[in-house]
Amino acid sequence: MANTGNNKYKILVIEDELNIRSFVSTILDANHYQVLTADTCSQGLLVFSSYVPDLIILDLGLPDADGLSFIRHVRLNSTTPIIVLSARSGEQDKVTALDLGANDYITKPFGTAELLARVRAIIRSRHQLSHPGTEGPRVFVLHDLSIDYDSRQVTVSGREIHLTQTEYNIVALLSQHAGKVLTYTAIIRRIWGEADPGSIKKLQVNMANIRKKLGLKPGENHYITNELGVGYRMYHTEDPSSMHA
Amino acid sequence: MKKLSPYVKDGVVTSSIMVISFLINLLIQKIYDTQTLIPMIFVLGIFLISIYTKGFFWGIAASLVSVLAVNYAFTFPYYDFDLLSPVCVFSALIMLVVAIMTCTLTARIRAQEQLRRENEKEKIRTNLLRAISHDLRTPLTAIYGSCSAIMENYASLTEAQQMVLLQQSREDAEWLIRMVENLLSVTRIGNPEVNIKKTPIVLEELIDSVLTKFRQKHPEQSVDVVMPEDFISIPMDALLIEQVLINLLENAVIHAKGMSVLSLSVSRQAGEVLFTVSDDGCGIPKERMRELFSGYLKLEDQPDGLRSNMGIGLSVCSAIIKAHSGRIWVKNNTNGGASFYFTLKG
Repeated sequence: MANTGNNKYKILVIEDELNIRSFVSTILDANHYQVLTADTCSQGLLVFSSYVPDLIILDLGLPDADGLSFIRHVRLNSTTPIIVLSARSGEQDKVTALDLGANDYITKPFGTAELLARVRAIIRSRHQLSHPGTEGPRVFVLHDLSIDYDSRQVTVSGREIHLTQTEYNIVALLSQHAGKVLTYTAIIRRIWGEADPGSIKKLQVNMANIRKKLGLKPGENHYITNELGVGYRMYHTEDPSSMHA
Repeated sequence: MKKLSPYVKDGVVTSSIMVISFLINLLIQKIYDTQTLIPMIFVLGIFLISIYTKGFFWGIAASLVSVLAVNYAFTFPYYDFDLLSPVCVFSALIMLVVAIMTCTLTARIRAQEQLRRENEKEKIRTNLLRAISHDLRTPLTAIYGSCSAIMENYASLTEAQQMVLLQQSREDAEWLIRMVENLLSVTRIGNPEVNIKKTPIVLEELIDSVLTKFRQKHPEQSVDVVMPEDFISIPMDALLIEQVLINLLENAVIHAKGMSVLSLSVSRQAGEVLFTVSDDGCGIPKERMRELFSGYLKLEDQPDGLRSNMGIGLSVCSAIIKAHSGRIWVKNNTNGGASFYFTLKG
């Protein structure tokens, strides 16, 4: 996936724990990415503005400033993708980070396979965006699920699935951001515009109907993961974790 | 539902009990034409008020009101005050004494209850700490040893040997992660019903998330799932409940010897949702049953090489469920194996 030679993708790792920084750098390096590191928020901003990386991996608990303020700062005038490393107990932080514009999060402790999968998914979707000539495919395929954006048709193993307008919009939205977690708020804003106290429930009910129509059983969900209390993510075609299911 | 402030609640309790006693007395006076029962009813009212309200204020207020009521409505001269008669002063004294003594008693009982609860929490924590610090040492020693072995004998160890050592280190680290997650949950619970942040979670999504995580770790173990088809949303701390279910499923994999069927079922009944994790393995010895949830497994009783994290995992489960005001219990199945049950308010 990654380019070789001096044309490698540049990844900036901002993490204050030396051991974690070193193991993350090692796997990225071994997978042919060029790795830049920083151990504080301010150093991170410095490296970011001087090297312009293709992707940022950001720990939320940094010594000098909150990682969230880093996201805010970068998002002022850049769309460089950001993957957040977060502690298990901080789901509020995850939601805030995603809503501020982070592209994805990984919960510590994480394995190398998981990290690489997220990195690949994000770099690939960037690649599609930055080449408008090949402006995303008009059909999304994931295992036996396929979504035709032109005819607004969803099929599973060739069988057509009849979704309501809203259900289709949700599925299409998730598939256009495959591999990325969309928070409840983000989905609601894109589907209904305004968020009100009942809208999370409305979204959850719609999702339940979608699962039923797609014939998904708990634990055998090949398409969409539930990030409990955070949002939903559609698997990316090449995401290895979607193969387990 | 909005919670009333305790002050308002106590006021409502006091005035309603007072009004009820007054009405009962009016009724008695009308039907039986006697006054002997009247002070008794008021004393009973004061007694109840002192029990169900906090502090001395309401009990004393109620006794003063009762004296005035008896004096005004139920003694000669009717519907007029005669506050200086010795009978009046005496009954006022008695009612005051009843109020003050009951209040003192209830306050003392409440304090004792509080103390007992804190002791119990403290005991669980001490047990957990002791069990855990013992348990953490083993994998840490193994990881440390394996890494040192590889570093110091890098040239002489074959690649296969190094791989085995690394593999073991990774397994040990995974186990440590699980342990630390349990510990984190315990600190997160802290004060029951205070720290827990509940959000409505869709049952189907919870089960899906649990099974996905479980299958990643134990791909060889199938789980039979039975659950209602309808849309059920339960307020909970999703991470904690997820952990309870994963703990219960993994315990079955580790401890239920000879298990072939592992099942997870969910059913709804009278405002509650009942979760059952059931296996057909070796069951749980009777003598272990009682202490299963207390984190009080004696480590010496464990066979060598078997990590005793079941006790810790279960006491964490129990703490989590209690913090959700649910119940958790275990039974051996009549046809072999054990079933763990817990309920959540739905």
